[in-house]
Amino acid sequence: MSESIRLDHLTKRYGGHLATDDVSLEIPAGRFVTLLGPSGSGKTTLLMMIAGFVRPTTGRIVVSGRDITDDPPERREFGMVFQGYALFPHLTVAENLAFPLKLRKMPRARIEQEVRRMLDTVHLPQLGGRYPRELSGGQQQRVALARALIFNPKVLLLDESLSALDKNLRAGLQEELRDLHARLGTTFVFVTHDQEEALSMSDEIVIVNHGRIVQSGAPRALYDRPRTRFVADFLGRANFVEGIVTASAGTAISYEAGGIPLRQAGPSDGPPVRPGDAILVGLRPEKLRLARDEPGGATNRTPAEIALVTFEGADHHVRLTTPLGPMQAVVPSDAAGPQPTRGDKVWLSWDADASVVLHDDR
Amino acid sequence: MDLAPSRPFRVTVFVAWMAILFLTLPFAVVLPVSLTPQRYLSLPDGELSLRHYQTLLEDRTWILSLRDSAVVAAGSTLLSVVLGTMTALACWRISSRLSEGVRMIMLAPMMVPSIVHALGFYRVWAQFGLLDTYLGLILAHAMKGTPYVVISVSAALANVDLRLEQAARSLGATAPQALWKVIIPAARPGMLAGSVFAFALSWDELVVTLFLTSRNVYTLPRKIWDGIQDNINPAVAAVATLLIALTIAAMLVRIVIARRQARLAAASPS
Amino acid sequence: MTGDMDGQTRRVYWVLLFAPLVLLAALYLFPLSRVLWLSVTVPSPGFGNFEQLVSSSAIQRVLWTTLRICVLTTALALLIGYAVAYAALHLRGWRGEALLFFVLLSFWLSVLIRAFAWLTLLQSRGIVNTWLMGAGLIDQPLTLIRNEFGVVLGMVHYMIPYAALPLYANMKGIDPRLVPAARGLGAGPVHAFLKVYLPMSTPGLISAGILTFIFSLGFYVTPALLGGGRTIMISEYIAVQINDTLNWGVGSMLATTLLLSIFAILAAMSLFVDLRRVFGVR
Repeated sequence: MSESIRLDHLTKRYGGHLATDDVSLEIPAGRFVTLLGPSGSGKTTLLMMIAGFVRPTTGRIVVSGRDITDDPPERREFGMVFQGYALFPHLTVAENLAFPLKLRKMPRARIEQEVRRMLDTVHLPQLGGRYPRELSGGQQQRVALARALIFNPKVLLLDESLSALDKNLRAGLQEELRDLHARLGTTFVFVTHDQEEALSMSDEIVIVNHGRIVQSGAPRALYDRPRTRFVADFLGRANFVEGIVTASAGTAISYEAGGIPLRQAGPSDGPPVRPGDAILVGLRPEKLRLARDEPGGATNRTPAEIALVTFEGADHHVRLTTPLGPMQAVVPSDAAGPQPTRGDKVWLSWDADASVVLHDDR
Repeated sequence: MDLAPSRPFRVTVFVAWMAILFLTLPFAVVLPVSLTPQRYLSLPDGELSLRHYQTLLEDRTWILSLRDSAVVAAGSTLLSVVLGTMTALACWRISSRLSEGVRMIMLAPMMVPSIVHALGFYRVWAQFGLLDTYLGLILAHAMKGTPYVVISVSAALANVDLRLEQAARSLGATAPQALWKVIIPAARPGMLAGSVFAFALSWDELVVTLFLTSRNVYTLPRKIWDGIQDNINPAVAAVATLLIALTIAAMLVRIVIARRQARLAAASPS
Repeated sequence: MTGDMDGQTRRVYWVLLFAPLVLLAALYLFPLSRVLWLSVTVPSPGFGNFEQLVSSSAIQRVLWTTLRICVLTTALALLIGYAVAYAALHLRGWRGEALLFFVLLSFWLSVLIRAFAWLTLLQSRGIVNTWLMGAGLIDQPLTLIRNEFGVVLGMVHYMIPYAALPLYANMKGIDPRLVPAARGLGAGPVHAFLKVYLPMSTPGLISAGILTFIFSLGFYVTPALLGGGRTIMISEYIAVQINDTLNWGVGSMLATTLLLSIFAILAAMSLFVDLRRVFGVR
């Protein structure tokens, strides 16, 4: 069973504060969609409205063509995994899983069978008799997931569900969750503030800030072509170069920053510019090249001095001071030649189509 | 502490043990006094006797007072637990200035001196024919016990995640079902603790009882009170000894249960 | 946001909030209001009863006795309770647990039984006097009850657990590394205690102080038994007005005074501490 969700001009007002501001969104059936945003951005409010715990001030929620805005949560048939899991402390794992089935008056034998099947699905076949407090964080997370899925919900909602776990466990559960999604085909709506999690798991990411959707799309597309400074900054690392346009022809733009002539080409979703306009250009650190000597043939280049080098395993993360302002670069740590060192005078270069023009929404 | 006990700390510990001696000494003398062969309050002089315990068994008023106390304490505890739990649940969920105000009002019977509400109960109960009835005393004691249940259940709910209710709802429970199947079970330890308080309070209550009852309802504290006024009947010492033994036994049971729970919790991997 | 409620939930929880309140209003607040009402209507409407607060020397004596005993009781109970709580928390192993056990035992024991135990010890033919005379230390029995000494003794005995238990709960929340840390910085034990521990336990002292003082003010059983009609506190005086002289005017006036004093104290204290914390609902 898989259903689509349509949010239609959803606004939630708390006193004078707009938690969400006229949000419209289509979530196609069977997709894994992540609502990503900083805390207080309104992403959780959106999820709670979908779940039925928060009533929108205005707007409708439509599931597979049916308006459910006025349905209480228990009639929506949405599974939900809560932040902190919200497992019932007085019930065993098996009783937690049986809870939604008992409410649906399923025969006892069927319930036992379903519970066993679901415990197998989440790889906890031995733990049915335990109480939640006797489980590790990762086990609790899986029980919460099993409980939310056992009644074949139309949609699975996940609220910051992995945030409390440590890094390794989280990576494992992320894979399990993707695997589960692929097998069940249920629509997943996942809320998180963790951009790496969003990038690695979702079919589609919806970036939310100040109660509005800033940009949405496939992870790769969002990463490569952010529309605004906020998106570029929130999703991965970014350099920002602020300059003045000297010439423009279609997607090819010449501009100047810190006294250095630079060029930008290739598709961008940024605002159209004319000579004399201010321009904001975003540049991923891994697209920068580091060289000892001035790279004669490079389109864009600037002298720089290394301010800080952080070893990150596969890469070095390098902070630099340049005439364009502070910049950061990521270079493979196994690169040939001398390792970058603090105080080194170097050259940074990048291709014209490595950068994107951004809306400045700061 | 990692430092060697300082002189002031040793003085503090000495004061504490003297305080414990002061707290327990009076109870220590009750047992020998209860075994005196004399008809008046005294320490036994060589010879021990169980005559005052026999009095307890033979004098029907003692047995009946025990029964009345049990009826009143059970009835009022039940009502206190219902009212107190309702208030604590609502305050936990609603958590607004208004609900906090209501909770403080519900705590009033705990702050108001017994003699003050005893007068009030007396006047109003007289109007409605509730004087010297079980119902009358049960209602009055229930009012006094409710604050303790509010406090205990509020404490138990303090660590309960509000999301439990949402979880139950998302799984298909209506609001009343979520309350009954999930929230109330989570409040149960607090209800238990509150009921112990409420029961003990009613079991020991004298001031309101003195005003509201005469012959018909005759509780144990009332009987003890009369026993003390009545030239100090040594049978009171026998009752006191039994009550002390009962209290110690109840506390030991509680400790054993707590230990076992702690051991179970420690035994399971977390 | 987790606090948001749908209509169904709101109905359920508002019923839970207001049903007990309605019952309390009918069965408790209404009777209480009758006492307030009586104080200004019996025997005649007006504040005649309250004038006796300044004009009657008997009432003033009772009020002063009550205040004196309560202040003394609270001070002693706090001092002793503080030592007990501190020792119970900081003594290692069974000793700390034993201290706590006896405090709790005393807490749960019937107030009547406690007063009775003191009577057997302290009355003129009681155990203490019998021993002292037997040992030839005194010729005449000492007057140990039917005076303020007996009342304060009994009340301190009753109040120690009420002081010690909140203090213990408060001290449990104090980081045990603070005092060693202060001493590591060169503070002596007394200095470390005064500058670090005492300020941290002040909220506990205030809570325990409010509880013991308020409970002491309205105390009936212990003063009635150990005061023996000589040392009379306000509660017993009120009971005498009602039972013996049928003077509802003065009785309800004093009850009102007692009630208002207590709420005045609570209102004043609420400026300094969160009362919800004092009564353990936060």
